[in-house]
Amino acid sequence: MNNFMAVVSFTLRNKMKTKSFIVTTIIIAVILSIGVNLPYIISQFKSEGGATKVGYTLSNLPEVTEPLKTYFDTNEGTNIHLVSYPDQGSQEGNEQVLKQGIKDGEISGYILLEEDAAAGFPKVTYKSESLMESSVTRTLRTGLQAVKVDYVIKDAQLSDAQKNLLLMPVQIEAAQISVMDNTGTGKTVEQQGLAMGFVYAMIIVLFMGIFITSQLIATEITAEKSSRVMEILVTSVAPLKQMFGKITGMSLVGLLQIVVYILVFLINVSLPHNKDLLAGWNLNLGDIDPLLYVYALVFYLTGYFLYSTLCAAVGSMVSRTEDLAQAMMPITMLALAGFYIGIFGMSSPDSMLIKTASFIPFFSPFAMFLRIGLTTPAWWEIVLSLALLAAAIFVLGWISAKIYRTGVLMYGKRPTFKELRKAMKAYKV
Amino acid sequence: MKPLVLEQVSKQYGEKTAVNRISLEVEAGEIYGLLGANGAGKTTTMRMVLGLIYPDAGNIFYQGRPYSQEQLSMLGYLPEERGMYPKVKISDQIIYLARLRGMNRKDADRNLKLWLEKFNISEYYNMKIEELSKGNQQKIQFIASVIHDPKILILDEAFSGLDPVNVELLKKTVKELRDGGKTILFSTHRMEHVEELCRNITIMHRSNPVIQGNLKDIKKRFPRERVIVGADQPIRGLETVSGVQRVEELENGSGYAVWIDREETAQQLLHYAMKQTVLTRFELLEPTLNEIFIRSVGESNE
Repeated sequence: MNNFMAVVSFTLRNKMKTKSFIVTTIIIAVILSIGVNLPYIISQFKSEGGATKVGYTLSNLPEVTEPLKTYFDTNEGTNIHLVSYPDQGSQEGNEQVLKQGIKDGEISGYILLEEDAAAGFPKVTYKSESLMESSVTRTLRTGLQAVKVDYVIKDAQLSDAQKNLLLMPVQIEAAQISVMDNTGTGKTVEQQGLAMGFVYAMIIVLFMGIFITSQLIATEITAEKSSRVMEILVTSVAPLKQMFGKITGMSLVGLLQIVVYILVFLINVSLPHNKDLLAGWNLNLGDIDPLLYVYALVFYLTGYFLYSTLCAAVGSMVSRTEDLAQAMMPITMLALAGFYIGIFGMSSPDSMLIKTASFIPFFSPFAMFLRIGLTTPAWWEIVLSLALLAAAIFVLGWISAKIYRTGVLMYGKRPTFKELRKAMKAYKV
Repeated sequence: MKPLVLEQVSKQYGEKTAVNRISLEVEAGEIYGLLGANGAGKTTTMRMVLGLIYPDAGNIFYQGRPYSQEQLSMLGYLPEERGMYPKVKISDQIIYLARLRGMNRKDADRNLKLWLEKFNISEYYNMKIEELSKGNQQKIQFIASVIHDPKILILDEAFSGLDPVNVELLKKTVKELRDGGKTILFSTHRMEHVEELCRNITIMHRSNPVIQGNLKDIKKRFPRERVIVGADQPIRGLETVSGVQRVEELENGSGYAVWIDREETAQQLLHYAMKQTVLTRFELLEPTLNEIFIRSVGESNE
């Protein structure tokens, strides 16, 4: 036990002392802070910028442009202001003036209208220097839609109330309910969005955490082998203790890193300006089921132990760090597959693929967590998934330990399975 | 009770026999030499002693007891392929290795400082291995194998790659450890080290122990076949004496080395040479370990 703790603390201390570890942690923390504050930063810029100015030519189909200008002037929130330019006599001349307007910074774009007999409403082109200004075109479309409705129904003699009714978009709300127990009244759209966002973020954290730390374990073991310090290590401490000590130490490193990120995130979120923003969106982190946090931790740890034991076995078979990436390929593929199943499953957490994947140990940390976060799987499904995962960790850990015990003493080219079996027999493990 | 005893120990890798029935006993305060060409089975034997590999047959006893995890703290190992963490501070990794063998941090730190002082390299305490010269890296490696004060020490090619000054320093240290009552199993290719340090040896050849026993007894078993004849004047016709097999002039021209078939031939050689000139030197040499080794191992020595 003493030895085990020595391995754990040595792994922990050495990893945390490396420059790369400190730098990576700081960089990710900074990116995270920026990411959290981004909505606020953007909103700051927006209010300063004011409305987008869009130019048009006075004589260009005034029966459309006049009501459009009135629409944008009367609706404050639309953030578009139409600026008129006098007619120059020719179309080229008109466009020339409008372009000059952009050049002088008076307007950021302009609209051209063209009669379109077939559609019954003019065809509108928005021209600007930027690429795909979707928010501007969307607002323009809304305005034009209103103008069009007015234009079409002006003879139908509808009341204002009827007109408003016509323009009002259809509302549809989706509420997620639980049929397992009758307590829940269903989650609101915001809560669903929050759960979705949380699950999305957690799947990325799961993947990064599991993948990066497992890779690190393999790299460290191969490095110990290639620097031959392994020969001294295996004569000082039982290989099993050494392997699991390393895995445990590294898991603490990974958890510590995640705790740092979470703290950075929480501190940023609780800054006054961000608090207001979140409140404005009706988001409250407390709305997430606390059990989901527990599940996140459980699946992180189980997933980590599953992949890290495998990586330790692979790392022990390779003698040179240059060969490691190639040997790690199958595990990399497995982890990537699990990650993509998780990401694609976001939109359809009830699909057969996700249900099946949530019982396959390599994918279940992603798939089962996704299901728990977005749907309500039966309790026995969760238990079964975790039991399978635990069994897989146990079996693979056992096999990995055997491979490790043999692999650490085999130098030269990467052994084939046949050679490995032979060596295992020879070493009597 | 002898601290380290091997009884008829064998090891097979699949079809190939790596070590075939080796037996040896090492006493406290003794350096036991394990010699052999590359691939003769030395490293496998040492790995079995270290408990890295289990023997297929035979027994290994440490202070009369079979191998167990507890023995690990009693063993010290200097591997042939040197290896430490290149980027970890020396104090950190030596103390770590000592702790793995059951020593507490404080004792390990004290021992490390003593050893660094002994080798006159106290300033390396806070440095990294990669910053040191190769010779100093080896000293650190040596410290790593003795830091926990092991009773049994296994040194695989302890002096390879060191300059003469450092070889002397380490040799002196190994002798001190021997005199301090350690049991040392020692392998090398350098025969002069064995002649200087070891009382008993085993020469292995293709997995088999071919020559075993006390170094002096082994030398007596081999006939003395080399004569050094020293003279200021050239001596002619030495090769015509019956029984002489080969004559070589010494590099500095001060005499000849003569190989003979039997020890008696030396007397006839002496008579013959004395008739020609005044001899400054006449010596019948006992075989060097190098000659014994090459003779018993033959051309397979790479």
